[in-house]
Amino acid sequence: MKAKKLFSLALAGVMAASVVACSVPGKGSGDGIVDMTFFAAMAGKEKDDGNEIKELIAQKTGVRVKESWLTGQDAGEAIGSIIASGKLPDFIDGGDGCIQLYENHLLVAWDDYLEKYPNLKEMYTPEEWDKFRQSDGKIYWANVFGNHYKQDTTTGHNGEAFWIQVRVLEWANYPKIETLDQYFDLLEKYAAANPTMPDGTPVIPYTCLCEDWKYYCLENAPMFLDGYPNDGCVIVDVSAGADNPKVVDYNTTSTAKMYFQKLNEEYAKGAIDPDFATQTYDEYIAKLSTGRVLGLCDQYWDFAYNIMGPFAQTQTTTDGTSYRLDEMGCDYVPLGLVAEAGMEQQWHSYGDELNQASGIAVTTSCSNPDLAFSFLSAMLDQEIHDLRFWGIKDVDYLVDENGLYYRNDQMRENWKSDSYKAKHTCEYSYFPQWNGLSKDGKNCMQPAEQPSEFLAGLAAPLKKCFEAYGAGNYNDFIGSKYCDQYAWYPLWSWSNGVSNETPGGIAWQKMGEVKHMWLPKVVMSTDFETDWAAYQQAYNDVNPQAFLDEAQAEVDARLATAKANGTA
Amino acid sequence: MENTVSQQEKLKQLTEKELNKPKFTAKEFKRQWVLIAISAVYVIYGIIFYYLPLIGWIMAFQNFKYYDGIAGSKFVGLDKFKFLFSDKTFLLVIRNTFAMGALNLFFSTVMAIVFAILLNEVRNRHFKKTIQTISYLPHFLSWIIVVAIVHDALTSTGIINELLLKFGIVDKAYPFLGDPNMFWGIVTFSHLWKETGWNAIIYLAAITAIDPCLYESAAIDGAGRFQKMWYITLPSLRPTIIILLIMNMGNVLNAGFELQYLLGNGLVQSVSKTIDIYVLDWALNARNTDYSLGTAAGIFKTAVSLALIFLTNTIAKKTGDERLF
Repeated sequence: MKAKKLFSLALAGVMAASVVACSVPGKGSGDGIVDMTFFAAMAGKEKDDGNEIKELIAQKTGVRVKESWLTGQDAGEAIGSIIASGKLPDFIDGGDGCIQLYENHLLVAWDDYLEKYPNLKEMYTPEEWDKFRQSDGKIYWANVFGNHYKQDTTTGHNGEAFWIQVRVLEWANYPKIETLDQYFDLLEKYAAANPTMPDGTPVIPYTCLCEDWKYYCLENAPMFLDGYPNDGCVIVDVSAGADNPKVVDYNTTSTAKMYFQKLNEEYAKGAIDPDFATQTYDEYIAKLSTGRVLGLCDQYWDFAYNIMGPFAQTQTTTDGTSYRLDEMGCDYVPLGLVAEAGMEQQWHSYGDELNQASGIAVTTSCSNPDLAFSFLSAMLDQEIHDLRFWGIKDVDYLVDENGLYYRNDQMRENWKSDSYKAKHTCEYSYFPQWNGLSKDGKNCMQPAEQPSEFLAGLAAPLKKCFEAYGAGNYNDFIGSKYCDQYAWYPLWSWSNGVSNETPGGIAWQKMGEVKHMWLPKVVMSTDFETDWAAYQQAYNDVNPQAFLDEAQAEVDARLATAKANGTA
Repeated sequence: MENTVSQQEKLKQLTEKELNKPKFTAKEFKRQWVLIAISAVYVIYGIIFYYLPLIGWIMAFQNFKYYDGIAGSKFVGLDKFKFLFSDKTFLLVIRNTFAMGALNLFFSTVMAIVFAILLNEVRNRHFKKTIQTISYLPHFLSWIIVVAIVHDALTSTGIINELLLKFGIVDKAYPFLGDPNMFWGIVTFSHLWKETGWNAIIYLAAITAIDPCLYESAAIDGAGRFQKMWYITLPSLRPTIIILLIMNMGNVLNAGFELQYLLGNGLVQSVSKTIDIYVLDWALNARNTDYSLGTAAGIFKTAVSLALIFLTNTIAKKTGDERLF
């Protein structure tokens, strides 16, 4: 009896302690290190408590950050409910909701701290920083991605493409694939000749994610097929000169009809995953992780990081033969397809894409903003940057006689393993970071861009495929036209934040609803022409012109600002 | 006659006495203060947590901005309501919410009663207990898990399609989740699967309260098993059924959020979106947190729910049944 009482007393004590711990964020945990919190309106993987590199960074910076991610809900809902509840983390990346956080005066301005912390100021040029300024003229967040130190060392293609497994290309002896017809023809032929995986499950020639806002995988290909870069919401036609850009709706072009008609034919033939329209993101990733999907259209970041782990795992079939998906040639390479063979395309955008609409911010709930900014600044110290992306010297990477960093096979495997990453590595992946060349002038800021690491990290079939096409890396492979960015690019940094308060904003949301229903429907239709006409009717009913007019106004405004600054 | 008159007289006197009874005095207060203090706690609780938040309804008539607060936001009259009722999608989501709510209410009530009666007829005690436990366990699963199971079962390679293909009923996997005609059925079925066992508990309890003499006398009169169910069990359950029906009527518009939200997709959005999902899409999205619109939709929901409760209650009153108030 007494023991029981003591136990419950202890339990109550623990609970009280944890309540206190929860209610006082940003307070030290007794070891002189301040615990802070971070929320990203993105999906992500939690790190284990006591993560090794996180502790090392904490000792050096005096701050330990607990990161949390979206679970279930989408970014807007998460930010909406955070605003409503008033419970903010110390750091936040609100994604498209950043502007909401600003309008509700929940963020701390960077301006004073930029002067104090040169590491942060160095991230962007004054003109670039100006793009982050909000209506009150201050800076409240900074995007951390795709920013190159000294020189562009990009090896990847982070954007959208029609991806195809290298084994398919190898089987066909590395043909040149330019059009949708050639692409689907090859997928079908390969699937007919190799209908199953080693474990007996059938291959899926093509799938397409259609869940929530990620239905862009289905929706925006016509923009690229016509040879335009990713402005996200419209085509900006510069055929009348770069001084006279014209906004064009890619949903109603003949290319759009051709593309969806092609998908419709392929669906009828059974070449497209029957569950494509109803699958959830998790189901999609699970499907890709089995290596069964030969082709898909998506942006690299949306799928690639999640399938690396499973692709590198040794699997065993029931008859005892073992295989690895990456060694079988299941890795994907990007194809920059076009509407007609011979056209130039811009699936890959050169240069840093500055998305001024979102980034990391410090909130007004943070009790010690100066410490928070000093932490952000410390993230860019080369020593800590190396810890984040390369790891601990001799444990996660080695240094050769020329001072170049490299990894051995075991280290590379470790960095692909989800469990190793949870307990050991700490990228703070949404905190300030560099791409490009390291401050030592030799290495790359991120291992994936280190030429030796990039090549060594490729499985044999992928390497062979790059060689066959004479490409050194992903962006060579996709072979986009090199093109300077226009002043308005990327326009999605505007459309992602359009509010419902204007007719164009309401139209934009309704256009999304109509497309989200009709596009999978026309693909699955047994009478394409009728359904296409019905779709176009429904689409025009929601007044897309209102949106296009606002897009045109934004393009003109951005062009005018750039001219005024003398940068266009 | 005389007797009646005197009774009426008495009643009159009683009411007069009641009316003339002394106003609430200090002495009275002193006598009752403990009781008053105890009940005051609940009254205050109710005022703070049920009535004070209603001040927020003002937001529906403003263009509410979090930073400006209720005091500082601009009033826009009925604009938000106008937006709602001029939006075809909103009319569609009202229909969906009603339809799914009504289907759900009807089938879950019927199934729970049928299940409770059938279970009550089971003689073997252990078997009965086991079935009851198994059947109410799904109640404790969260919707996200139920949706995962339903989703898995209904994909082209799920168990349902596998069976249909195996028995040659279809020659190609049927896209259940992408067919707008199937959606309400799937939702209703999921509800039944999850909640029937749980809902049956209250009816089972009511059945145990029925006087066994009734059954015995019915048996003497020669009633069989089904006749006993029909003439004794069901009529005895009637008050319980009516009360639960009235209470659940108020919940018809809460037809659901999680299930429809998680199970829905682009193809079926015209039948899957409920009022709650609409509010989420238009009032709590990243580009525009329009709390005013959300509040307006909430007021509409409350008004309709209240109307439904009063309606059912009045019908119950008219038919002389048990009622809530």
